[in-house]
Amino acid sequence: MDSTTSKAAGGSSVGSLRPSLSETMGKWAFRLPIIFMVVFFALPMALTVVFSVFERTMFWMEPGFSLLAYENFFFSARLNNFLSSMYYSLIAVAICFVLGFPIAVFLRKSVPQVAQHRVVLLFILPFMVSEVIRVFALRPVLQRNGLVNETLMDLGLISEPITALLYSHTGVIIGEVMSFLPFIVFSGFLAMEAVPKYIFEVCDDLGAGTVRRFIDVILPLAAPGIFAGCVFIFVNGLGVALLPNILGGAGAVNAGLIATQAIAALDFPLAMAVSAIMMATLMGLLYIGHRLFDLTKILSPIN
Amino acid sequence: MYVSVYKIKPKVKSAPLAPPHSSAKVKQTMDQLEFNRRQMLTIMGGAAAAASLPLGAFAADPFKLWAPGIAKVGGKDWAAMEKEAGISIANIAKSARADESIQKMVVGDGNKLYDAMTDNGGGMEDALASQGAIVEIDTSKIPNWANVDARYKEGGDAADTIRHEGKVVAIPYISNADSLAFNHEKVGEELTSWEALFDEQFRGRAAMQNDFGPTLTNTAIYLKQSGKQDIVNASDMTEDEVKGVCGFLIDLKKKGHFRTFWDGVQNGADLLSSEEVLVSSCWEVIQIFAARKNGQDIRYGSMKEGHQAWNNVVMLTKGGQERGMEDSFNALANVYLSPWFGSRTLAGLGFTPQMTGVNEYIESNPDEFDADTKALLTERLARKKERNENPGNAWQNVFPTNIRAYQDWWARVQAA
Repeated sequence: MDSTTSKAAGGSSVGSLRPSLSETMGKWAFRLPIIFMVVFFALPMALTVVFSVFERTMFWMEPGFSLLAYENFFFSARLNNFLSSMYYSLIAVAICFVLGFPIAVFLRKSVPQVAQHRVVLLFILPFMVSEVIRVFALRPVLQRNGLVNETLMDLGLISEPITALLYSHTGVIIGEVMSFLPFIVFSGFLAMEAVPKYIFEVCDDLGAGTVRRFIDVILPLAAPGIFAGCVFIFVNGLGVALLPNILGGAGAVNAGLIATQAIAALDFPLAMAVSAIMMATLMGLLYIGHRLFDLTKILSPIN
Repeated sequence: MYVSVYKIKPKVKSAPLAPPHSSAKVKQTMDQLEFNRRQMLTIMGGAAAAASLPLGAFAADPFKLWAPGIAKVGGKDWAAMEKEAGISIANIAKSARADESIQKMVVGDGNKLYDAMTDNGGGMEDALASQGAIVEIDTSKIPNWANVDARYKEGGDAADTIRHEGKVVAIPYISNADSLAFNHEKVGEELTSWEALFDEQFRGRAAMQNDFGPTLTNTAIYLKQSGKQDIVNASDMTEDEVKGVCGFLIDLKKKGHFRTFWDGVQNGADLLSSEEVLVSSCWEVIQIFAARKNGQDIRYGSMKEGHQAWNNVVMLTKGGQERGMEDSFNALANVYLSPWFGSRTLAGLGFTPQMTGVNEYIESNPDEFDADTKALLTERLARKKERNENPGNAWQNVFPTNIRAYQDWWARVQAA
């Protein structure tokens, strides 16, 4: 029945049949994020893949189909650079987990509930400072005549400065841990929502030791959140060009720096290919994580 | 002979909306409606007058210059440059990255945004001119062009860096011949050969730039001049030559020779001042900043084999010309070619002036340059002359013929 008919039939108002403005707005409030994601995320991602097979020109690229950019990536030293940056990112992830997850567990287990979120907020504070400055600030700490070396030498623990702390893979890993540790604390904190406090008491009552309690109870319950945090750190380790640039040794690179250098040399298809490969790596990791841990559980309450 | 100050008055002032002194009187003598009507008519009249003016009338707009901070002297802002040129400058910060320039000027909307821009000579001027992004410059309208360094007039590599198809499309404002900075106190001697950079006594205490252009060129100059590798043109190597140069660097890198490859002025200066490295091939400004930081005796040598020479140029965009900004550009270019600018960029950042008459300017302005500064600048200028005249020098080439080989082999150096 259209509005004209209804009006003629009995005088019911038009407004009662048409969706109200607030209803329409409500629908669009849900659609807007989808539109935003499609326009600013899915579409650029798709275009990245499309551009990666374009033909390179002197200053830009032109439509075509060429796998030269991928060939330039997979059959050159860039692949070695990419793989080695994956390796060092994995080390950073492991260190972040070892240092950060216990903090999250401690927060959930031992800090009063009213104070938990406030304590977590403390980990946001470093993000108030530009990452460039934070990373640069590591230099005077780690360098040859920096704080660490001077202190160790003053204490008589070393006679020569340790040079491996800076301009090395170690330096990059230290930078990654410093930059990304809060992420594992946040995700671990959220993941621990899946581990109610009484679980700790039950474990104590049943006589489960700390290690067994961690491996058999906490870890499986919190796995989806931990995995999400680890992926975040891993992908940032691959992509943030700043860290190898400032803290890395001669020619230290990661995927982000490979793409940046390709752009600097006006090789846009290669830069797009590197980005596409990074995206594929991320998607692959998320797929594996989902199969192993069912990542939808991150958003599900324990009960 | 030079013209130290070359001022151009803004050509047209925008039409006034109303006489500035009249509004109060108007408010007292007529009602609000009448006032609004008259005011509206005045505004409409002004708008109509503005619309009827030629494009050149907008020359009173600020001159939009896309350039890095090193393109200015005389303070933290552009006031001194504006005063000297007699124009209003709106500076938009720019990096030194070629891709950024190409993206904006060839693919993007740079011509709408900028009246002039700076970039590296020796490649960028050709790239931009060939794409119609910049236009020819009428040097007869730049009085100080008469004082430009002779090498830009005589033909050859330097002259090529400001020309496209024989026409002048760029004005050089700074240049240098990059060399080796070293910690004299620790090294204990004056270094005059690139040999030192690759010598095992500095294993783990040496650095080079994280950029295949200058790093491969300087290494090639060393290998060529020392007879270690046959290289025809260190600025534009063949694939085999690039392979040989990179093989040399890879071998050294595997031995742990390089502490790091630096990026940026701050990074390069920190490396030297913190004594992480004792020798580093770098820009002179890095040596100056490193020496200033802790007062160390960090020097900039002259290498007997030669150096990579480079310059930075300022160019008039096609959009700038279309908007009638040519006179403003010429005024700014005239300042860039004046000893006023040359002496200041030499003193502050250590860049080579692009004009004659700098020593005379310094001599004739004792209130600006005290005796110590004068001696320092004279000595710095003499060393620059020596470096610039080295027959082994090779000019920067932003786009070498085999750029892909440069990129690919540089990736191998990084991966080694």
